[in-house]
Amino acid sequence: MIELIQQIIDGLGRGGIYALLALGIAVIFGVMHLINFAHGELITVSAYTSYWLFASGLNWWFIAPTVIVVAVLTAVIIEFVAFRWVRGAPDFTMLMTSFGVHFLVQALFVMYVSANFRQFPRPGWIFDTWRIGGLSLEVFDLAVIAATLVTLLGTYWLLQRTMFGVSLRAAAEDFDTARLMGIRSNRVIRGAFVLSGVLAGVAAVFWLMRSGQAGPTAGLNPMLKGVLAALIGGLGSLSGAVLGGITLGLVEVLLISRLPGGTAGLTDGIVFLLIALLFVFRPQGLITVRRVERV
Amino acid sequence: MQADRVRHAVAPVLGSGLLFLFLVAGSLLYAATGDAAANSLVTQMLINAVVVLGIQIYIGNTGVLSFGHIGFGAIAGYAFAICAISPERKLRQIPNAPFGLAEVDFTPLQSGLIAVTLTVIVAFLIGLALSRSGARSGAVAAVVITLALLFVVHEVARNWIDLTRGGKTGLSFSPLGNATLQGKLPIYLILLGAIGLARLFKETRAGRLAQAAREDDLAARVMGIDPAVQQMIALLLSVVVVSAGSALRVFELGSINPRLFFFDYTLLTLTMLIVGGRNSVVGALTGVLIITVGSELTRNLSEVDIQGMNWLLRDGLTDIFLGGAMLGFMILRPAGLLGDWELDHWSLRRLRRTEPPPVPPPSTDGDQTPTTVLKVTNVTVHFGGYQALADAGLEAASGEIVGLIGPNGAGKTTLLNVITGLVESDNGQTALGGVILTGVSPHVIARSGLARTFQNFRLFSALSVRENIGVVRLVAKHFRRDRPLPPVGALMAQAGLWEQRDRRASELDYGNARRLELARAAAAGPEFLLLDEPTSGMSDSESRAMIDQVRSMAKLIGAGVVVIDHDLNFITGICDRVYVLDQGRVIAVGTPAEIAANPAVQTAYLGTAE
Repeated sequence: MIELIQQIIDGLGRGGIYALLALGIAVIFGVMHLINFAHGELITVSAYTSYWLFASGLNWWFIAPTVIVVAVLTAVIIEFVAFRWVRGAPDFTMLMTSFGVHFLVQALFVMYVSANFRQFPRPGWIFDTWRIGGLSLEVFDLAVIAATLVTLLGTYWLLQRTMFGVSLRAAAEDFDTARLMGIRSNRVIRGAFVLSGVLAGVAAVFWLMRSGQAGPTAGLNPMLKGVLAALIGGLGSLSGAVLGGITLGLVEVLLISRLPGGTAGLTDGIVFLLIALLFVFRPQGLITVRRVERV
Repeated sequence: MQADRVRHAVAPVLGSGLLFLFLVAGSLLYAATGDAAANSLVTQMLINAVVVLGIQIYIGNTGVLSFGHIGFGAIAGYAFAICAISPERKLRQIPNAPFGLAEVDFTPLQSGLIAVTLTVIVAFLIGLALSRSGARSGAVAAVVITLALLFVVHEVARNWIDLTRGGKTGLSFSPLGNATLQGKLPIYLILLGAIGLARLFKETRAGRLAQAAREDDLAARVMGIDPAVQQMIALLLSVVVVSAGSALRVFELGSINPRLFFFDYTLLTLTMLIVGGRNSVVGALTGVLIITVGSELTRNLSEVDIQGMNWLLRDGLTDIFLGGAMLGFMILRPAGLLGDWELDHWSLRRLRRTEPPPVPPPSTDGDQTPTTVLKVTNVTVHFGGYQALADAGLEAASGEIVGLIGPNGAGKTTLLNVITGLVESDNGQTALGGVILTGVSPHVIARSGLARTFQNFRLFSALSVRENIGVVRLVAKHFRRDRPLPPVGALMAQAGLWEQRDRRASELDYGNARRLELARAAAAGPEFLLLDEPTSGMSDSESRAMIDQVRSMAKLIGAGVVVIDHDLNFITGICDRVYVLDQGRVIAVGTPAEIAANPAVQTAYLGTAE
């Protein structure tokens, strides 16, 4: 029992980060019908930012907010340079465009920085644990859970209570109608990218505190996790994305603890396989969003 | 006509041959003038061409984006290497291989065949998964499943040390790991086969049906096409080519490791495919050429030292070029350089210009075909809490033209969607000539004899007028053999589209697009044509002309008609009987004159007179 509670808390710690990533991907999908395979590049850019700021002698208290700002800027730039031009294009074009951005940003880092990973120091407190009864709680997991909750509540408030939030939800529901009702598409789409940048930035801070390294492919893993979580949640649904992220985190933790020794390295492969199977049997995702195609 | 048909079949064959000769002659010339490095570059290019053509067969025809083809390549590559490496070398590299694989000894040809067979079996399973997930053009599920394949194969190759020797060293044919392929004949033969297969598949029945589904999955299904079958055929053929190419690649390099068939190669081959034009065989080959030359140039440039240019001419320029090419083409020219153009189109264009207009076919005599009845009863549909249809129904006999009118939201289109299987009803049933069609897939309903058009038309937009009709007729020739199936030319002439016959459907104006949808539905050889607002967006005169068009088209194929429209002049001008729907219920049935006089109908349309 204690063990299970322990694993659930571990899973929430992991899943919180995934939820933030997935939510960013779902927001973009909502307004553009684009699956942003370049979402991980926000993490990559954040990772290099952290590395350079560390090299200049700054600490996490300064780095964390800077990383969020940089992630937002990157998201806006990517929208301006690439995604703006394929709005409304067939799904195939949009998918390949986001992969194109993913590969190009990766190539730029290889060319101008290095193909090798660079290490930077992780904050000391992330390894601290609190012992309560039989539980050993990682301070880091608790911090992630708290930060995720705060960010999600903030996002919820933004979406439910502000004019921007209402426009964004309207656009996610039916983009064309929303436009006809006078919602300015440029502003909503840019806003969606800013929001996804903030979410990715918060996720990046925690991801990087744990990994402590920067490299051209630093964003690949977070991107895959975010996309998979968003897919579990049914892509269009914002609450689905959050649930998807948490589900993914829990499944991973349970898999790691249950897999026989020596095969723990296969966790990612098994998760991928499970998601593919999920798609075979439930193409619309775990949390169904009914999308009726009008004919 | 017979001679034309022969020329239509021969042109692609000749075109493929010509393409092959160009490629081989070009590469021989280049290799002859260059050194060993040039020679190896050419060899690699030809092998990449095989792999890219293989991917083209799938992505080009189905529009389903696959990231897994290089994963298939990895399976084939390893299977080939494990079979073909000599037992003596294997005992040194993988002495603990399972199933006694370390001792087996096959010739390269045998190994290639084993590799292809094994990979095709895996592809069949993946194909089942893809069709289960409802893969269609640009489908996300397909991206996930194929990416999963690429990842899982990679992980297995890295971790199953006993079989693959893991990721560090990989397997090699000779101690030094140098090239093992002697002579280029195998490459040429496989390349020729790949070009021919890719080009001819586009013209086969399966290829053309897959292309229709690529353009509009839903329209294809209600025209009787089952995309899952065509996609499976395309997948298996494409995997045959990809695995042959991958075995060649391994043989030529003399070694294999997991990185050889992973993201980098996926990026390279997909970029090659997209740049030239994924829907075209010449396009795919052009892409291979451009990307090979471009990569080589950028690689050389990155080593050049020019003052002030070091910010650009440095290591990694090749990857920038690849990523930039993929992104640039998607933004500026998503169809690639050549779109869907093929070398042999040049000869067909001349043939088509001199084509004689079709002779009007004999109209079928309504009396010859026995009367069939379409009977829809007690249909109820809920969307959430909203009741779209309540106990609605209709009956129509062949030879009859039945109208379906009602205010917006009355449930007219929903009723049509229920009949064609696109919407599931809570209860009620559809029977055509006594055969119950409720709960049957849309494509089976279409094959049983119901063809429809759409309110917002859904044509196969990248296909020409001729192909739009032709592809549906292909299906009808299979499933509607006992029906009068007028030739494509006659249908085009009947719909007034003869002059537009080789234009893309996406280029047609509104009226022509509507008429094309009518002709396409007629090509399905149905018992009943179900038309959803055929005159919406048309001018008065166009809509009057539509009356004759619908009548003569129905007569040509001997079908009954059920038509939804808002234009009351059109409805009264064409219908024998009219059903009036309001709030999901049938509130009146009768001749147009009776309906016009019915007080309930007047209330529904105009509101109560106070």
